Order: sequence, then structure tokens, then C-alpha cells
Amino acid sequence: MKHQLIDTQIHIATGGRSFSNDGEALVLLHGSGQNHLTWVLQSRYFAYRGYQVLAPDFPGHGLSGGTPLESIEDMADWVIALLDSLDVKTARLVGHSQGCLVAIDATARYPERVSRLGLIAGALAIPVNDQLLTMSDEALGKAISVMTSWGHGPMGHMHDNTQPGHSFLGYGKRLMTSNHADALRNDLKACNNYSGGKASAAKIVQPALCILAGSDRMTPIKFGMAMADSLVNSERVIMNGAGHMLPAERPAEVNVALRHFLAS
Amino acid sequence: MSGDYKFDTLSLHAGHVPDERHGSRAVPIHQTTSYVFKNTEHAAALYNQEFGGHLYTRISNPTVAVLEQRVAALEGGVAATATASGMAALSTALLVLCSQGDHIVSSSRMYGANINLLENTLIRFGITTSFIDPSDLAGIEKAIQPNTKLIFGEVIGNPGLDIMDVKAVGEIAAKAGVPLMLDCTFNTPWLLKPFELGANLIIHSLTKWIGGHGVAIGGAVVDGGNFDWGQNDKFPTIAGPHYAMDGINFYEEFGPAAFTAKFRAEGMYNFGPSLSPTNAFHILQGMETLPLRMQRHMDNTTKMLEFLCDHEAVDWVRHPNLADHPGHELAKRMMPRGAGSIIVFGLKGGRDAGRTFIESVELASHLANVGDAKTLVIHPASTTHSHISAEAMIEGGLSDDMIRLSVGLEDFDDIKADFEMGFQAAAKFAKTKD
Repeated sequence: MKHQLIDTQIHIATGGRSFSNDGEALVLLHGSGQNHLTWVLQSRYFAYRGYQVLAPDFPGHGLSGGTPLESIEDMADWVIALLDSLDVKTARLVGHSQGCLVAIDATARYPERVSRLGLIAGALAIPVNDQLLTMSDEALGKAISVMTSWGHGPMGHMHDNTQPGHSFLGYGKRLMTSNHADALRNDLKACNNYSGGKASAAKIVQPALCILAGSDRMTPIKFGMAMADSLVNSERVIMNGAGHMLPAERPAEVNVALRHFLAS
Repeated sequence: MSGDYKFDTLSLHAGHVPDERHGSRAVPIHQTTSYVFKNTEHAAALYNQEFGGHLYTRISNPTVAVLEQRVAALEGGVAATATASGMAALSTALLVLCSQGDHIVSSSRMYGANINLLENTLIRFGITTSFIDPSDLAGIEKAIQPNTKLIFGEVIGNPGLDIMDVKAVGEIAAKAGVPLMLDCTFNTPWLLKPFELGANLIIHSLTKWIGGHGVAIGGAVVDGGNFDWGQNDKFPTIAGPHYAMDGINFYEEFGPAAFTAKFRAEGMYNFGPSLSPTNAFHILQGMETLPLRMQRHMDNTTKMLEFLCDHEAVDWVRHPNLADHPGHELAKRMMPRGAGSIIVFGLKGGRDAGRTFIESVELASHLANVGDAKTLVIHPASTTHSHISAEAMIEGGLSDDMIRLSVGLEDFDDIKADFEMGFQAAAKFAKTKD
């Protein structure tokens, strides 16, 4: 759906169903250089199981207007502003990669607005190497290719997709290419500059589920485990052999794990 | 995995990982019409595209999906959908894109069935086509109307071997806000990857070089994921509510794969042009050796061109690798590995000499196919292009004496000896006639 947030028209995927703010929303937060299409196999799945799904494109991403935000804190504030504008009192936040940082920061600063946390392929800090940062500024296409390659596990590189006929790598590259030209650079800088993860996690008491990928080259699993360790009320699910793009690579397992957690 | 797999590796492996239960290294043939649902929720979710999977082989099939994923990987697309033939891929793709009152700008120099579909069949459904010489860029641009929904052509025209400038035509299409769809059967992804030059949709007859063995008919449409279906109001059934699945908006829900989602949900459901799993398996066997075969096809083509050009029995030879071909420089730039293994030529003595030649060769097979591992010959004017009008034949660059040769993988000395025999027979016939 299209939604006016302050002075920007944004796009929010609602899984093919009309959104109602009657009850808790399930908010799906995409990662660096991604957009609502990260959740193509989650938004529809949960919407048709009674969840009020909001998978927004952050400004400058996907079908949203505006320019990309520059810090994780700004993104967290933006999520809360989005909830306010839709008159949503509490939400379950599910983040992927950078979306985990946003979810953690928002939950720590606005604890009354978040009831549960789903953290997929995340960490408390996501430092980005200088080479990739420079590439995202000077050679966007190359940066997208590198990230798409690093982001997928063995199944992804073999194009062994649960969606008949689909290529993980081909789709991943096109998805990232469809964003604002500054989106990836700003996102990577925001991740690299964010240092509040550990302190934020220490404040979080809400139940959290960490879904981690065994073959994650973007946020290696040891950092995901550290994230889970630092959340007092967390559980973890590890998907061996999967790459960073878990929502696409292992949609069935991710959905089942999340559904079980959200219903518990 | 330190980087993305390369072409030769993808030809062998893409789309398939041995399953944990059986470990079958070869792609299994899932010869089944249907798939047992886990429960009613699972069934409903599959119909509603909430997750991937298979529900009925008319829509998708695990063996066919491996083939589709391999084709998508080799082309660098976001997805591919396989069909029962190349013509099934083309006709379904056109019907997924166009509605009554729509218009297509198409190359005038193409395979006879492609022209027939556009000129004589789609017109009955209110879809009209303007045919333009593929080298006439200004003409292509001028032919675009407000109701134009796509530009279509063949990279290497069949059988005239005209070359389309993919980058230039892609720019015209992009400017007009319509996709460029190309029949890439003759070039295969080994010779050219058109998405990199701005094409948006690719049609393949998999029967030809990709299969390469002449045992299975199949086709595919590959989605480049590089066309913005929401940039204008030309595609309301892709970027607006569709009757299927509660008014789904394919553009918003599936992004770069919106066309494929609609092709699967409407094209495969309503027209049912499905590829049989066994044929998909056969085509996969061919794909495994595509790079090796293409190299050999091109090596033998180079030798054959030299042989034909120097032969006294041969009146004329046409191939984009020859310097006198009007698309030579363009072909050299777009396809540095060569412009395919089809050669057309005429014999001194015209049509009769050609007929005698075709009937006299023994190793080369006289049949209606191209891209086989075996060398093939045919007379297009009386066969593959016999159903198109005399005007369209002239417009398409077809002459009455034209022989279409699909260069195979045999030892070149043997093909050469076979052709010498055919040329001698043709010459003998000409003398008898005199």
C-alpha cells in the first residue's frame, strides 16, 4: 500500500491483504540495499495467516520515495514514526541483517512499542570493510554483485530455488539495482557507524528469536550467537548450510520458526 | 564458494543439488502430474503463491524447474519458465503481455512461424504488428504507437541471418517504456547474453543448440528482471490488480520477477503450454555440454565458410562472420565468439541445383531443425517458410535458391567430403538439364 509518512510517499507491502491496525502489527525490516522484496516469501505467508503485515520500503528503497536515511538510529525513529502514523500501538519487529540493528535499537529506545523480536542473520554490530564501502560509492554495480555473491550460500550459488525457475543471484542483483543509487552506500555506512548494539541489547527484555545461517559470510554466525547470548530472553535456530539471505534461501524453515515463536 | 560459478560449471550444475534422501547425482525425472499436499493449508498456500513449490505439472514440475533455473542462470536472468516448445514460449509470452487493441513492433526478418503468429493469428485477437527491417533503427522507433506493448526480434534472423543491434534497439524500447523481447535461439547464451545489452525478455527454442541432440522439443521464456513494469500505465495486469489471488499486483509483490509470476499464474494456468518432465531431462543432458558443443559448432562453421566461399559450385554464401555481410561489424562486436552455426548459401544452377544437392548428401540430414549436433540442410522457401506470403519472403530476405545449413559437430573432413559429393551431383544434374 502507498502511505504518506511526513513528506514522503512510501510503499509498504502488506502481503496482498488490507492492513488493519486492530491489534499488533508484524513489521518486517529489510537489510542493507534491500527492500520489501526481501520478504516476498514471508509477507504473503503471514498475511494469509491472520497477521497484520507491514513490510515497508525504507526511504529511497524499492517503491518508496525520499532519500535513504543515514543512521541506524534514524531508521529506528522512522519505524516508530511509521507505527505512529498508522496508529499502531505495539508491534512485533522482525529484522534481516541491518534490519536487526534497527529492530534492536528501536526496541531499546521504545520498549513499550515492541512486544517481540525476530532477528534473522543479524549481529550487534555489522562493520563493513573499506573496500566494499568505497565500491558502494564508486562502483555500485560491482558492490551489488559482490554482496549478492557473498549473501548467498551453496544453494543460492547453485540456483536451487524453492520458487520454480527462479535464480537467487539474478533476482538478488535486480532487487538491489531497483533502489535509489545512494541506498546501498548510506545503508552500509549506517551499519558501519552503529556502535550501540551491545548497549541496546542489554536493555531488551522482550522475547527474541535469533535465526542464524550456518554459512553466513556477511554476518558470520559467531556474531549472531553473540547477539543471541546478549539478549536475556532469547532463543536461537541455526540453519546449517544456508547463506545470509535466509528469508529467500530457506523460506519454509524461516516461516515455520517465526510462526512458532510468534504464536508462543 | 569464493565467487559466482562460471558458465561451464553452471551448464553442468545450475538448478540442481542432490536431494538428501536419495542423493541422485543426475537430475531425477519427476514423471508425475501432481504432488501430495501436506494438508489443506499447504495446498491453499501453494495456490496462493505464499511459498514456492509444485502443485500440478501443468504449472511447474521439479525436473522442469531445474532446467528453468539452469537457463535463467546461464542468461543472467531473474527467472525462466520452460514450455512445450519455443513457439509455446513466444505465443504465451505475447498473450501474457498483450490484450485486444495492443500493438507490437517486430523484426520483419524472422522464422516463418514467428511471422505467421504475429501476422495471421494474433490479428484475429485484435493484436496488430508493424514489421520493420531489424537494421532500420529509425523505422523501429517510428513504428512505435501509444498502444505498442513490446519490440520483438531475433538476434540472428532465421534464415536470412540479419543481425539486430540489441543495445540500440534496447535503448529505443527503454525510451518508449516498452520491453525488448528477443528470440535468442540462434545465438544461445554462449555467444551472447542480451540482458547485458538491454534486452528484457528472452525466448528460446530449447530444441535447438541448448538441447542439441534432436530428441526433445522444448522452449523457455527468460525474465531479465530489468524492466520497470510500473513506470507507465501500459501493463495494468502486471502493475495493477490481477484477477488471480485476491487481485494480486505482481509488480509490487514480486518486483523484478513480476513478468514471470504473471506468466506462471496466468500463462501456465490458462494456456497450459507445459514441458514434459522427460523432455526437460533430455534437454538438461544436452545443456551439460553446451559450451563444448558451441565451440565445436563455431570451429566447424569457420572451416565450412572457408570451404563454401572458395568452392566453384557455390554462387553465394551468407554469414555474419563474412566481411561482406551487412551486419558483419555489429556481429563481430556483439558476438566475438562468432555469429552462430547457421550458414545460408546458393548454388550455381539455382533452386534445381540446390534441390539436387540436398537430395544427394548422405551425412548431412535433410530435415526441419537447426542446432542439432548433426549437420542439417533444408530449402526454406519450400519448407520452413512456405506458409508466409511472397511479399514477406522478399521482405525477409529469402531467395528461392537459398539452402540453410546448420553446421554440426562431425569431423569436418567428412562433412566436406559429403558436400563435395552433393556439389558434383548438382553439377551433373545441371549438365543433364542443359
